[in-house]
Amino acid sequence: MDDQGFACAGIRPLSHGPAPQKQRWYRGKPIVSILLLAGIILGCLFCNAFIPKDPTYMDLFHYDEAPGREFLFGTDAMGRDIFSIVWYGGRLSLLIGFSATAISTAIAVVFGAVSGLAPRWLDAVLMRLTEILLSVPNLLIIILIQAILGKPNVLSISFAIGITSWTGIAKIVRTEVRQMRSSEYVLAARCMGGGFFHILWRHLMPNFISSIMFMVVMNVRNAIAAESTLSFMGIGLPWEVISWGSMLSLSEKALLSGSWWMILIPGLFLVVTLLCVTNIGNWLRKQTNCRQSNL
Amino acid sequence: MIRREFLYYGKKLLVFAASILVLSIVVFYVARLAPGDPLVSYYSDRVEKMSPEERAWAEEKLGLSDPIHVQYVRWLSGALHGDFGISFKYKADVLEVIRGRLVNTLLLGGTGVILIFGLALLLGILCAWFEDRWLDRIICKAGTIISCIPEFWLSLVAILIFAVWLRVLPSSGAYSAGKSHDIADRIIHLILPMSIVVVEHLWYYAYMIRNKILEEVRADYVLLAKSKGMSRRKIMFRHCLRNVMPSYLSIMAISVPHILGGTYIVETVFSYPGIGALSYESARYQDYHLLMLLCILTGAVVILCNLLAQVINERIDPRIRANEAAEMLEVKQIG
Repeated sequence: MDDQGFACAGIRPLSHGPAPQKQRWYRGKPIVSILLLAGIILGCLFCNAFIPKDPTYMDLFHYDEAPGREFLFGTDAMGRDIFSIVWYGGRLSLLIGFSATAISTAIAVVFGAVSGLAPRWLDAVLMRLTEILLSVPNLLIIILIQAILGKPNVLSISFAIGITSWTGIAKIVRTEVRQMRSSEYVLAARCMGGGFFHILWRHLMPNFISSIMFMVVMNVRNAIAAESTLSFMGIGLPWEVISWGSMLSLSEKALLSGSWWMILIPGLFLVVTLLCVTNIGNWLRKQTNCRQSNL
Repeated sequence: MIRREFLYYGKKLLVFAASILVLSIVVFYVARLAPGDPLVSYYSDRVEKMSPEERAWAEEKLGLSDPIHVQYVRWLSGALHGDFGISFKYKADVLEVIRGRLVNTLLLGGTGVILIFGLALLLGILCAWFEDRWLDRIICKAGTIISCIPEFWLSLVAILIFAVWLRVLPSSGAYSAGKSHDIADRIIHLILPMSIVVVEHLWYYAYMIRNKILEEVRADYVLLAKSKGMSRRKIMFRHCLRNVMPSYLSIMAISVPHILGGTYIVETVFSYPGIGALSYESARYQDYHLLMLLCILTGAVVILCNLLAQVINERIDPRIRANEAAEMLEVKQIG
């Protein structure tokens, strides 16, 4: 049909506007955060290649020294070079962040799935239990777990943080599983004798993974923050095991002597990391369009 | 009708009591099963020099030698009569130990909650009013950054700036020595910890308000009110805000314990004599009776606030109850 025909039918011909702009691949992605985070992670992983001093060596002639040419970020009260230990210590902080998240996610997925698939009364009991767990201050649970597990190390701290931070994810998993539990493919898998973990892994997990992804990323952030808080308060890693938190645990002394670099520099590393992870998490949330939790 | 009301609140009360009971059992068992020597907190270093007989006598005297369930029943019957036992460390009735500090924590946490409640509302409305303009964007960015900063580090930086560099505010304690009744002195000591508590939590709630209002202003009734000729301000405050309030109230009720928990860390950094430092000590040094009372107290606040949120929701906004009923119906049909 020609233009005349369109005009008769009351449809205007397409006007030739400017061609749609080519979308840049990085639009809307948190590129700065990803780059910064990648930089920090790589720098921590391969810190041995570029740090000038041995991070555990205590230089008794140069303790409490302000940032200068020899000590880029200064030295702490034990005479350790802050530039070296900030990279070196990041390893443990990040490791704890990731392993604690792995633990909490595993607990949350299993617990949420059990609660979602269980009969209504059991579900109510389980949910009530999580509420009770939430009502004990996290700090107390962590102290108790630390007391049971003995001298704090990376594993015990990851465990303690992981075991106190799974409830949020578990609630989302439960809601999602509740919606899926009576769909045909789950019923079919059940009829064919699929076990709990088989159904969870093959059928349920692929469906809810995108809606918990954002929470998982946020859990990494919370775990890193929790580690630093615990170490700062003296229930996490001891000061001789270097992490961002244990570096900050010396800051009480630093306050007295006014050595700002001991407080600000490790803290800035910590905050930048947390900010990058948060930005990535927020982007993921928008991406999956998962409804923001109201709690 | 009155009967139904009675049943409704009776049920809530029952849930509350059951939760507290379960909580007390869990805490009691976990605390006793955790390794560590409770005698150390009572006799401090002298424990190491004790002979086995003396130890047995001391345990007998403190009631630690019986099986755990016997101890629990004894504790429970005492607690129901208002006797929560003595603190091993302070060697005084735990209620006495807690009393003075509870006031301090309530002063910090309670005022903090009220400030957060009001300021978050204001900030949220402000952001929603100027949606996507520069003011909104700046506040959003700043909020995201501040909410990322761990509480203890923010406190440290605040101490560094205001107490060490500028020397305008005190860095620790709740009052200067010998001035525990001087109100002005107390307020000066409260400024730093209070602002940390408020700043740290503010954005979370303000952002929630902002999003809820933005959802609300896209509803059809706003269009109707506008076509009637209502002013923007009137629509916002008369209609949108009113719809947002119930969920905000219930969320705030749930978040009270969260904010109180946040004061624990701030209390430790500022060495503010409150509940936080006390519960940390009691858990570390196996001061069982003190630990129990603190856990029950915080647990009671949490559960009470949760129930309060439920009641607010169900009373002010009955749709939530209707939804639940619908869900139940659905489940019944499927099952």
